[in-house]
Amino acid sequence: MELSDANLQTLTEYLKKTLDPDPAIRRPAEKFLESVEGSQNYPLLLLTLLEKSQENVIKVCASVTFKNYIKRNWRIVGILVEDEPNKICESDRIAIKANIVPLMLSSPEQIQKQLSDAISIIGREDFPQKWPDLLTEMVNRFQSGDFHVINGVLRTAHSLFKRYRHEFKSNELWTEIKLVLDAFALPLTNLFKATIELCSTHANDASALKVLFSSLILIAKLFYSLNFQDLPEFFEDNMETWMTNFHSLLTLDNKLLQTDDEEEAGLLELLKSQICDNAALYAQKYDEEFQPYLPRFVTAIWNLLVTTGQEVKYDLLVSNAIQFLASVCERPHYKHLFEDQNTLTSICEKVIVPNMEFRAADEEAFEDNSEEYIRRDLEGSDIDTRRRAACDLVRGLCKFFEGPVTGIFSGYVNSMLQEYAKNPSVNWKHKDAAIYLVTSLASKAQTQKHGITQANELVNLTEFFVNHIQPDLKSASVNEFPVLKADGIKYIMIFRNQVPKEQLLVSIPLLINHLQAESIVVHTYAAHALERLFTMRGTNNTTLITAAEMAPFVEVLLTNLFKALTLPGSSENEYIMKAIMRSFSLLQESIIPYIPSVITQLTQKLLAVSKNPSKPHFNHYMFESICLSIRITCKANPDAVGSFEEALFMVFTEILQNDVQEFIPYVFQVMSLLLEMHKNEIPSSYMALFPHLLQPVLWERTGNIPPLVRLLQAYLERGANTIASAAADKIPGLLGVFQKLIASKANDHQGFYLLNSIIEHMPPESVDQYRKQIFILLFQRLQNSKTTKFIKSFLVFINLYCVKYGALALQEIFDSIQPKMFGMVLEKIIIPEIQKVSGQVEKKICAVGITKILTECPPMMDTEYTKLWTPLLQALIGLFELPEDDTIPDEEHFIDIEDTPGYQTAFSQLAFAGKKEHDPVGQMVNNPRIHLAQSLHKLSTACPGRVPSMLSTSLNAEALQYLQGYLQAASVTLL
Amino acid sequence: MPVVNNHSERMRKFKNKGKDAAALRRQRAEVSIELRKAKKDEQILKRRSILFGLVDENLPLEEKRDEIIQLSLEEIVEAVNGSNTMLQLQATQATRRMLSRQKDPPINQIIELGIIPKLVEFLTRADNAPLQFEAAWALTNIASGTSDHTKAVVEGGAIPAFISLLSSPHMHISEQSVWALGNIAGDGPLYRDALINRNAIPPLLALVSPVTPVGFLRNITWTLSNLCRNKNPYPPLDAVKKILPVLICLIEHEDKDIISDSCWAISYLTDGSNDRIQIVVDTGILPRLVELMARPELIIMTPALRAIGNVVTGTDEQTQAAIDAGVLAVLPHLLRHAKPTIQKEAAWALSNIAAGPCWQIQQLITCGLLPPLVELLDKGDFKAQKEAVWAVANFTTGGTVEQVVELVRSGVLKPLLNLLLAKDSKTILVILDTISNLFLAAEKLGETERLCLLVEELDGLEKIEALQTHDNNMVYRAALNIIEKYFSGEETPGLQPGTGQDGLYDFSVEKQDFNF
Repeated sequence: MELSDANLQTLTEYLKKTLDPDPAIRRPAEKFLESVEGSQNYPLLLLTLLEKSQENVIKVCASVTFKNYIKRNWRIVGILVEDEPNKICESDRIAIKANIVPLMLSSPEQIQKQLSDAISIIGREDFPQKWPDLLTEMVNRFQSGDFHVINGVLRTAHSLFKRYRHEFKSNELWTEIKLVLDAFALPLTNLFKATIELCSTHANDASALKVLFSSLILIAKLFYSLNFQDLPEFFEDNMETWMTNFHSLLTLDNKLLQTDDEEEAGLLELLKSQICDNAALYAQKYDEEFQPYLPRFVTAIWNLLVTTGQEVKYDLLVSNAIQFLASVCERPHYKHLFEDQNTLTSICEKVIVPNMEFRAADEEAFEDNSEEYIRRDLEGSDIDTRRRAACDLVRGLCKFFEGPVTGIFSGYVNSMLQEYAKNPSVNWKHKDAAIYLVTSLASKAQTQKHGITQANELVNLTEFFVNHIQPDLKSASVNEFPVLKADGIKYIMIFRNQVPKEQLLVSIPLLINHLQAESIVVHTYAAHALERLFTMRGTNNTTLITAAEMAPFVEVLLTNLFKALTLPGSSENEYIMKAIMRSFSLLQESIIPYIPSVITQLTQKLLAVSKNPSKPHFNHYMFESICLSIRITCKANPDAVGSFEEALFMVFTEILQNDVQEFIPYVFQVMSLLLEMHKNEIPSSYMALFPHLLQPVLWERTGNIPPLVRLLQAYLERGANTIASAAADKIPGLLGVFQKLIASKANDHQGFYLLNSIIEHMPPESVDQYRKQIFILLFQRLQNSKTTKFIKSFLVFINLYCVKYGALALQEIFDSIQPKMFGMVLEKIIIPEIQKVSGQVEKKICAVGITKILTECPPMMDTEYTKLWTPLLQALIGLFELPEDDTIPDEEHFIDIEDTPGYQTAFSQLAFAGKKEHDPVGQMVNNPRIHLAQSLHKLSTACPGRVPSMLSTSLNAEALQYLQGYLQAASVTLL
Repeated sequence: MPVVNNHSERMRKFKNKGKDAAALRRQRAEVSIELRKAKKDEQILKRRSILFGLVDENLPLEEKRDEIIQLSLEEIVEAVNGSNTMLQLQATQATRRMLSRQKDPPINQIIELGIIPKLVEFLTRADNAPLQFEAAWALTNIASGTSDHTKAVVEGGAIPAFISLLSSPHMHISEQSVWALGNIAGDGPLYRDALINRNAIPPLLALVSPVTPVGFLRNITWTLSNLCRNKNPYPPLDAVKKILPVLICLIEHEDKDIISDSCWAISYLTDGSNDRIQIVVDTGILPRLVELMARPELIIMTPALRAIGNVVTGTDEQTQAAIDAGVLAVLPHLLRHAKPTIQKEAAWALSNIAAGPCWQIQQLITCGLLPPLVELLDKGDFKAQKEAVWAVANFTTGGTVEQVVELVRSGVLKPLLNLLLAKDSKTILVILDTISNLFLAAEKLGETERLCLLVEELDGLEKIEALQTHDNNMVYRAALNIIEKYFSGEETPGLQPGTGQDGLYDFSVEKQDFNF
């Protein structure tokens, strides 16, 4: 491409088309530009256009296109990568670097920004080695006196240097920084001084001040970047200049720079905020050198806090400033700056208390944006807020001054409570601040799961609770002073481990009552507090609050919880739904009388939300609640399962038909639970669904696999005979699912679950014709891509097969696939790998299976397989004597419900749909060691002398000792 | 990038836990570029002999009586190049005076006069001791300047002249030569080795005797330390072996400066590969060094600590030698020292001991190092905190589960998690790795959940969560990893069947030969 007018014209046309809203015009133009961007001069044409085009829109468009082009192409990925060619030729690169800085500086701001970005992208690759004159070029502009230009340079420098703040120390990085310091530090310092002087000469010129302060902000940011990695010699030598000026800027105020905007921070705030950061950097990293300046900064920042207003625009500044104080006051050698009683009092009074006050903005959020409010207040996403910063300062001060600080605040708390008492409706915010103050003073450590775990011993939490929290919650109107109600409820919630149980019991009806409050925050907090109280542990790993203690409140609790779901704004409130679930789990059979109404309400809710599932947590807890209703009811009355099916199947059908992907895994789990409740043969309603469950489309979604396997297992458990007789033609399809699962390393264990159920429950003749195929498939996986997980599952399966069909059948089918196959599997898989099997039931299956191979398989006694007999026995003894895995206790109440549900609906396992562990050899064998001893005894009576001789020739001494123990325990001897 | 490699290297070692812990030991100076001012507590490389006030004790007596003769630069050149010995002496003396004044000695101007060869020639005037002395002093002060200044003296041929003056019958001349040679040696490895190759060491060592005055002995010790100083390359081994026995004697002296410079010399000799460290360890000097580490004087404590710090970067056996010499008893005191650089050096040494095998870690616990380590982590200067973080990281990598439990019990978690706010990416990353190590230990004990709660209670969780938006890629990935693994509560193909006519999967397979 030549740098010709014609080309400029063409390019202009295409750029214009890329702005067209019609994709039919826009897309081809974009394609065209992409196709020519590898040509020489293309970037230079763009630069020409952004400088000289008559139309502003083309200028801007060219600058954006240029920036994106640089972003995509400047970096040379690798000279050897052929499909990533270098799209920008060397001469263009040189031309760009030669022209871009002056061009950027002379452009209007909109374009300047794009070019500045482009420079920093280029700089990231080329600076400093391949762009040695960049720094000099920039520094020279400092003398121009044109602050438009200067700010352009500063902005570019900032984007080039800011990476010093996060990169690791390295020779390469430090060489660059050293180079930058040599060229840049002195001019920057001079510019800093000059700019400050100009600020005083132009103290009355608002527009000049704005430009100058923008420069100062950028200079302060550059200072931060350049000083981040280590304290440079230059800045140590010039600390006086920088710190003195920073200090005076902190104390500076100028009416002309104050903004009317309440939300957006002004230049003055931004500058001071950055200075706080700079001071904090020095205080943290270069304490030794910064010590002489620090007290001055503490005073200045503290005065700044005292004089700064409540507006949102000051939030960042205030939060930064308080955090600075918080970090300094914890250091032992600055303790003295704070320890004076007057100082402490003044900090408490003028810095902490005002920033804990409930502001208009908080009130707005409380009412209109309660979801956000709850998230911030409850879940701790409040890191940058003033309240949080003030809270951190309290905790920092308590490190050395817990006594005095507690004393000072107690005084404040009392006076604020008195103010409130005088006129609650006007002064309720005082009480809010008092509660917040007590909370931040008392809490030393906190977790979501347990609330406050360590408290300040100087604060009497129970007394405060009884005297100031309970009265609010006891008041007749649940809707009066909603903020105070929320505070009170939160107090119970976070101090639940500090307040004695009898006080918690007193609170429960109060909390239940507040489920009716109109305020979303209040009834949400009430639900959340109940849920948390119900999960507290008492002695003996039971719940602290028992079902018996809850008996008087069951009806009102359930009524209010479900009513709360009808309050405006809470129709899908996850806290309420979680409280419902937790209540069911706690109350157990006492909810049975209410189930008919409960299940109606839950199915209606389910129907409503299935139209557009949007709250994954809510939905999850809803299904958990459904499962609990089923389990609790059917435990007492197994026949009730029919009524649940009646209530639920219609909605389930709709969900399956409409393919509501988020809910399908849940539906399968609930169906499994229902089906397992049946004691007799499988109902026909389930059989009608069976073919549909084998549809490949369902199995392509990973989230469906575990619950579907679980459901098919339930089908096999309850309906194997029905399947064999009425749906025999579907058996290949069922095995096809097994084949599909076994082919995947991720899902093979699910395939084995299915296969195990087939072997265990299907009548043998119904799968006879497929057995060989099944093994061939497994052997292929074993041969081609075996993993530990696969081997473990495989071992369990073949042993289960052996238990079910006999050892001889196992040997025969193996050897029918390939001669000597049985020996190969024993030698290469079973003997060396059996110790990997984990899980009590799994180990037991393997033990019984191997015992059968040892004692009920004639070829083991009189063929070439005989040499494997003792090694196999030794492996079995090894399996016995490995430490057992701890089993999971049957304690479901405390299971933390996972926060899994996401967009992709990965498998969302319902804790309360849990499957009981199934032991297929349970009835047959109680103690597998004794079983081995008895089986060996039986074998030895059949062929006297053989067994002891095999043992004595090759079993190792330790194993022999164990074996003798088993024999003794079984009271048998070998003949 | 080298940093990434270093890090993955460290991670690799971490995974092969216990196999090669020595690789965790960090040598001094990872980065050769410095942004900081030259360190104030380093030993001085070159020294100038300055005239303080009116009376100078170093001067020969007769000079004090003489009137001071002022000469212009032109007069100096003329006199030096002339043949009048008296004038030569006066001019040399005037030169020396100028070079000895406290402020702005005109070293460049003197060099530009081109009189250095002449001054060197004066060194050989065995018949004129005053002239020899004045020339030696002047040259000493020229050599005390920049590298270029030293170079001018060396290129003027001063090295052999000074070496032969070491054996001068006049003690003050020999002493001045020692000083001059010290300045030349201090310039760098090149001139250091030039001196060594010209056999400067034997006559220098010969000057050490029981009757050598303390002041002279100080000069000798200092010059010897410069002959041991500098890497790339290290001083030749046979030179080191010659100097060491004398250093071992000098370090027993009672004079603080002599002890200090001997310690500096030892610290240079140990600042290198393990075979260099071994030579020092073999002398049996470690107990003395540890004793000196505990001395209150900074000028002694600093180099002794550095030397021991270097020794524990060595092999497990070398580190054990330092432990046997009692280093662990002294470190607690140094970790609590008021001076940040001492804290930092002590913590660095500790971090290298913690990089050792678990029995050394056990000794570290037994000797009560955990409380001061935790204190330092909590309240130390930032430079020292960084080293303390490394110490904890190494401890959790090489320690047994029981030892890690002990570490957590001593309260390390809170200050460690607080340091996640540090303004240093590397430190943050090391802490995150340490947290992972702690979780691995917790997993073995089945205490993962407890550790999760503890981390959350100490406000660590929110800090780790916040790091998921850190600009440094490795930091953010490490944080993400911990959150996903321990705090999210989330858990997480050729034999594919075809589809048959009924739309279901087709169950079929072709047989092949198996061989496992």
